Amino acid sequence: MNHILRKLQVTFPQQASILNLSLCRATPSIQHPMWSTASINERQYRDMPTHGIGRWRHLLPKQASKKKKVKNQVKDLVSATDTAYGTLNVKVSGYDMTVVEHYSQYIHNLCNRLNIKVAESYALPTKSTEVLLMQEQGNKTFVDAVLKTHQRVVQLSSLNASLCPVFMDVILKNQPEGVQLSVQEHTEADYLLRFKARPELDGLIAQIYQ
Amino acid sequence: MAAPCRKMASRSFSRLLCYFSSTAVGSGACRRFSVTPIDRATPLGSTAADRATSPWSLMAAVCLQRLPVISADCSPIEQRFKQMLQQMELEKSLVSDHELRLLEDAEKMSRRQAADYDSDEEDRGDQEIMMTQDLEDTWEQRLKNFHPAPRVRGQWRRGLVKVRKSLGVKSTRTSPVSLPYSCLADVDEDLSSAQRCLADSLVLLAEQQVGAEKLWLLPQAAWQEGETLRQTAERALDSVTAAGVKATFLGNAPCGVYKYKLPKAARTEGSVGRKVFFFKAILADGAPGSAPTAPLLWVKKSELQEYLKPAYMTKVDRFILNL
Repeated sequence: MNHILRKLQVTFPQQASILNLSLCRATPSIQHPMWSTASINERQYRDMPTHGIGRWRHLLPKQASKKKKVKNQVKDLVSATDTAYGTLNVKVSGYDMTVVEHYSQYIHNLCNRLNIKVAESYALPTKSTEVLLMQEQGNKTFVDAVLKTHQRVVQLSSLNASLCPVFMDVILKNQPEGVQLSVQEHTEADYLLRFKARPELDGLIAQIYQ
Repeated sequence: MAAPCRKMASRSFSRLLCYFSSTAVGSGACRRFSVTPIDRATPLGSTAADRATSPWSLMAAVCLQRLPVISADCSPIEQRFKQMLQQMELEKSLVSDHELRLLEDAEKMSRRQAADYDSDEEDRGDQEIMMTQDLEDTWEQRLKNFHPAPRVRGQWRRGLVKVRKSLGVKSTRTSPVSLPYSCLADVDEDLSSAQRCLADSLVLLAEQQVGAEKLWLLPQAAWQEGETLRQTAERALDSVTAAGVKATFLGNAPCGVYKYKLPKAARTEGSVGRKVFFFKAILADGAPGSAPTAPLLWVKKSELQEYLKPAYMTKVDRFILNL
C-alpha cells in the first residue's frame, strides 16, 4: 500500500512541470477511499485480491506423523480357502550367500509383479557345518573346511490357486545352481524359530514349576 | 508370461509340501524332489441330474517337464560380459587372509636371504609346520584330482562297419570286411531318452490314438464321473509312462485349454467336440522300472513344432516357458 502511495507521489512531481502548481499542492491530500478506512495494523479481508499471497506451507508435501509405529507386528496367519493357499513360506537356502540373496530378491520382485502379497521377507540364522577329514597317516580328523548354510524366507500371505502353477514353474526354471528351494505352509513353530532362546528365563520358569 | 487359466473345474483342494533342490547331479538326471500331501479333501460328487448336459466332453492332459540339470553355456556376448565383470570384481576386491599370509611369508623369505639377517632379532612366535605356499600347492593338487561328470551323457553303441581291406602288399584283391566298432553316441540325438539335452527343459510327448489317426500330443485321458480333472491328468500320465516315473503336479488349476470339434461324420446330438485341459507337472527323480507302454518323446520347445499339429501347437505354446 505504501509503495503505491509513493509511486503516486513520485509521478505527481513529474507532472508538476506540465501542470500548474495548484494541482500539485492538491494531489497529496487526495487519498484512496479504501485506504482512508483501513490503517496499516489491520489485516486485509479475504476479498482482498492479494489475500494469502505469502502462504507457502500448504505447498509442501505432507509429512508423516511423528507418532512411533509399532515395529515387528505379529501378522496373523491366513488360513487356506477353496481358491487360495494360506500363508506360505518360500525358503531359499544354499552355501553361497550372494546367490541365495539374489534369488530371494528375484522371488520377491516376481511376487510384486504378479501382485502376490508378500507378508514378510526375512533371514533365518546361518548354520555353520564343519567338514572334518581323516588324516591320511593317522586316525585323527582335522578340520578341512567350514561350510555356512544361508537361509532366506519370503512369506506370501495368500497365493491364488490359479496363479500357483505359473508362479512355481517360473521360480523352478530360474532356480540357480547350488540353491535349494522349499515351499511350505507357515506354522507357529516356524514363527518361533526366529526368536533367540532365553536360557535365564527358561531356567526361572523351570524353577517355578519344579 | 502368465498362462491363461480359463476354468478351474477341480473341486477338491489339497495342501502340498514341496521340496525342490538343484544340487549335484548324482545318479539321476533330475532334481531331487519330495512331496508330502498333508490334507486331501474328498471330491464332492455332483449328481448327474443337477448338471446340465453339455455337448462338449472333457479331457485332461499333462504337460510333464524335465527341468534342466546343468547350467546352459553362455553366448559369446555373455562370456565377454562375464569376463569383464570378473575382472572388475578382482580389481575392486581386497586381499584375503590367505593372500596376506602369502605376502608375509614372501617377505620373511626375502629378509632371511638378505645379507644382514640376524636370526635372534626375528620375532619367531609359533613356527608354522606348513608354509602357506605348500598349502596352496596341496589345494591345487586336490583340484586337479577332481574330475567332474561329463556334460553330455553318452551311450556306448556297438555296430559293424564294412571296410575294404587289402590283404598283404602283393595281393591286389580287396575284400569287404566287417569290423566291429564301439563309439560314444550322443545322447542328445536320442529323442526318447530323458537324459538328453541336460541344459534345456524338455516336455514329454506321447503318440496316442485320437479318433481314426495316431497323433503326437501331450498325454491325455478322458474325464470320468466322480474324479477331479487333476486326477484325470494323473491317470493319463500313469497310463502312458512306466510305473516308476514320479511326477509332481504344480497345482489343481489347469494352465491351458484346447477345444476342438469332432469331424462332421462323428458328431452326434450329445457330443460336438472335446475340451482338453492341460496340467503342469515336474518330473521327479525316479528311475523308470519298466519300459513305457506307448512310444514317448522328450522334446525341447523349439522341436515341438515338428510333432504337434498347428492349431494344437498355438495353444500349447502359450504355457510352455522356454527359460
